[in-house]
Amino acid sequence: MNGSPSHYVMLFKAVSYALKAESILKAGVLPHKLIPVPRQISSDCGICLRFEPQHRASIEALLSGKVAVEDIRPLIC
Amino acid sequence: MKIVNATGLACPHPVVLAKQAIEANEQVQVIVDNETALENVKRMGVKLGCDVDSQAKAGGIYEIMLTRKTGAAVPAVPVSCVASSPSAGPFVVVCPEDKMGRGNDELGAVLIRAFLHTLAEQAEKPDVMIFYNTGVKLTVQGSETLDDLKTLAAAGVEILVCGTCLNYFEVKDKLGAGVVSNMYDIVETLSRAGRLLSP
Repeated sequence: MNGSPSHYVMLFKAVSYALKAESILKAGVLPHKLIPVPRQISSDCGICLRFEPQHRASIEALLSGKVAVEDIRPLIC
Repeated sequence: MKIVNATGLACPHPVVLAKQAIEANEQVQVIVDNETALENVKRMGVKLGCDVDSQAKAGGIYEIMLTRKTGAAVPAVPVSCVASSPSAGPFVVVCPEDKMGRGNDELGAVLIRAFLHTLAEQAEKPDVMIFYNTGVKLTVQGSETLDDLKTLAAAGVEILVCGTCLNYFEVKDKLGAGVVSNMYDIVETLSRAGRLLSP
């Protein structure tokens, strides 16, 4: 365990933003997974998009100007 | 250190006694004489944020040491008691739809994905999962939930998929996880379930 994240999660203000982002990533064939927001980040019943670190730059670039992203957090586990 | 002798007591008594003791003491040793009590007391200790250590002693006796983390307040946790006797039937999860909950289909489709993802990551997995009606669509190729179902299957979860339903939706050749099952297996499994959960 070197503390480097296995994944990142992208957080949104609303479920609809997450779904819009997902459809854009699907069309762009960028690997991701829609998951519940991890407990250590928020106790709200929210959803977020999880992806591997190597895809972060392309995912951010593809969503830029299309969907408002609230935050991107590392997942250390 | 407080010692709680809970031998000869059936659940939930050992859990109740252990909980009362750890609320009043920093360290408690609980003595039980059956595996159900052992597991339930340990689970409660973990939920309360204690360090939990247990040792099997001669004669079917178990000693569980619960130690409160320094300065930590004890959170409110309801007493929970899960029977783990061999006579209890399997833990069964039933997915009768490709959605979770009623009212909004788009939301329901998101929720079922989140549900199956979380189920696949959870330590205590079901023994059997049953899919019928539109629920079978979760198990076929192209489904967003297929990877999670494969993870569950790889962890030993038996996945039964309604053959009539696969046939009705004309996706029998696309089954990606689990086995084609029938109403006999489904009724038999539901009938002997110790716990039945449906999202």
